[in-house]
Amino acid sequence: MDKIIEVQGINKTFLKRKTKETVTAVKDISFDVHRGEVLGLLGPNGAGKTSTIKMICGLLQPNSGAIYINGLDIRKKRLKALRHISAVLEGNRNLYWRLTVRENLEYFAGNRGLSRKEIAARVDQLIGQFRLKEKENELVNGLSRGMQQKLAIAVALLAETQAILLDEPTLGLDVEISYELREIIKTVAKEEQRTIIISSHDMPVVQELCDRTIIINKGTVVVDEKVENLLKLFETRAYSIKLCSELSPSQQKKLDVSFPLSTYKGSFRQPVVEVNLERSEDIYDLFDIFKAEGTVVESIDRTSIDFEQVFMEIVKGENNYAMA
Amino acid sequence: MQWLNLLTSNFRKEYIEMKRYLPNTLALLLTFYIIFLGAFFGIVFIGDPSSFEANVQYSIISVVFWSLTMMTMNFIGFSVITEAMRGTLEQLYMSPMGVWKIMLTRIVGQFALQSVLMVILLFAAMLTSGQWLSLNPVTTIPIILVTMVSMVGVSFMIAGLAIIVKQIQAFLQIFQFVLMGLVFVPLSIAPFLVFAPFVKGVNMVRTVMMENLTLTQLPWTDYGILAANSAIYLVLGLIVFHRCEKIAMQKGLLGQY
Repeated sequence: MDKIIEVQGINKTFLKRKTKETVTAVKDISFDVHRGEVLGLLGPNGAGKTSTIKMICGLLQPNSGAIYINGLDIRKKRLKALRHISAVLEGNRNLYWRLTVRENLEYFAGNRGLSRKEIAARVDQLIGQFRLKEKENELVNGLSRGMQQKLAIAVALLAETQAILLDEPTLGLDVEISYELREIIKTVAKEEQRTIIISSHDMPVVQELCDRTIIINKGTVVVDEKVENLLKLFETRAYSIKLCSELSPSQQKKLDVSFPLSTYKGSFRQPVVEVNLERSEDIYDLFDIFKAEGTVVESIDRTSIDFEQVFMEIVKGENNYAMA
Repeated sequence: MQWLNLLTSNFRKEYIEMKRYLPNTLALLLTFYIIFLGAFFGIVFIGDPSSFEANVQYSIISVVFWSLTMMTMNFIGFSVITEAMRGTLEQLYMSPMGVWKIMLTRIVGQFALQSVLMVILLFAAMLTSGQWLSLNPVTTIPIILVTMVSMVGVSFMIAGLAIIVKQIQAFLQIFQFVLMGLVFVPLSIAPFLVFAPFVKGVNMVRTVMMENLTLTQLPWTDYGILAANSAIYLVLGLIVFHRCEKIAMQKGLLGQY
């Protein structure tokens, strides 16, 4: 597959103005994104996602390392590289609120050097695709946040670039518009074979849209893996164990100490322990706790795990997520 | 061709926004008219009666040029600040055309629109004072166009500084009085101002309009000085702008306000 975005060992530090302290935002990050791939770029606040995205867009210069967009070095051939990439960086703030929907689209298309004829055709197409026809002559100021977000994404799609970066594309949207946008993103990636990087805190969206995910924490890449592989890996170690009797207080204490992320739901009907094991063999230690006081296990089931849990586990660093 | 598309697009945006903010635009025009009235009645009541006509004509041209320079040059500084606040500045930086080209087309668009307003102000001032200046467009328009190049240069310097120093508003407020000084003080009193941007051009236009001169009646050295002044300020402006852009990209200042 063609590499559309290549990030090679980028580093970025900032100097704090008041304390003159050097802060490392990004430390030796490398990854590639291929044609038609949807990549989720995740991480807690302050992890270095935004700095990475801005460096890919050429809005921020790395201290070292290189970024290529369709083979063009963004640092050396910035304007040529920008012909292949577009972005929604600040959602609805990327728009001119005193212009109408159509005027915004026309203005941004003109700013990319498109002719009037090209602009008219492309704007009409996007207004249709994003179902904005009824709103095309309304000022952006008067639109709902969802509509504004739709328009911001439509603006990013104007130039038919090969790579699109979307920062929090579904933030604060209602269910209907969020669904509509997810469908559009799927179409753009799969049918038009465009490369998309999504930075989001909305884990169900990442799980649904992304083929692969990169998790950044403290400026470095913690995980670079396909979403389905991550889910499988964690799924195999997540268990729901039904017990025939309650755990004693001493057993519960041992469970808390040995398996801090486990949960025990004591109940007269069916006590259950839910646990996510770091290593598969840890299950023997768990069984030792039950066996110590003769607690009988009724059943053991693998539990389904959502991407949010996977993300939390990885970021907390409380799991051995190294892929086999 | 892409330049033309860019110019059309930015001119249209400036025009639409000016129309949408029409009350603001008209209020600004009225402000300049009131300033002219202040100068005019000052000349009527306390000025030297023997040089009444010359003084009124001088003040008409000076007020018109002051408003034109101020609205064109300060515009770009405020424009960058507003874009940074709105969050659209980074989006402009995603354009493969380059922001300096976008800014240039905006300045040209703004200059064209402000020129129309200034013609209205000029006629209003002439009508009020009863002093009719020789507009002489064949002579004045080329001089104004060359003068505008130096204004573009200064505008780029302001835009560059606005990118890295977001609290530039205070400076822009003071800057309008600096512009006033540059436009109102005649070169005969302060010849060193020939090195300042656009002063030579304003002085030439004033001479043409007050003395009804043609293009060939002005010394060629004046044109040479004007062209050199404009070229130097344009180059300086672009250098400052690009340098400021580089600093902003190194320090991550484009998206900050």
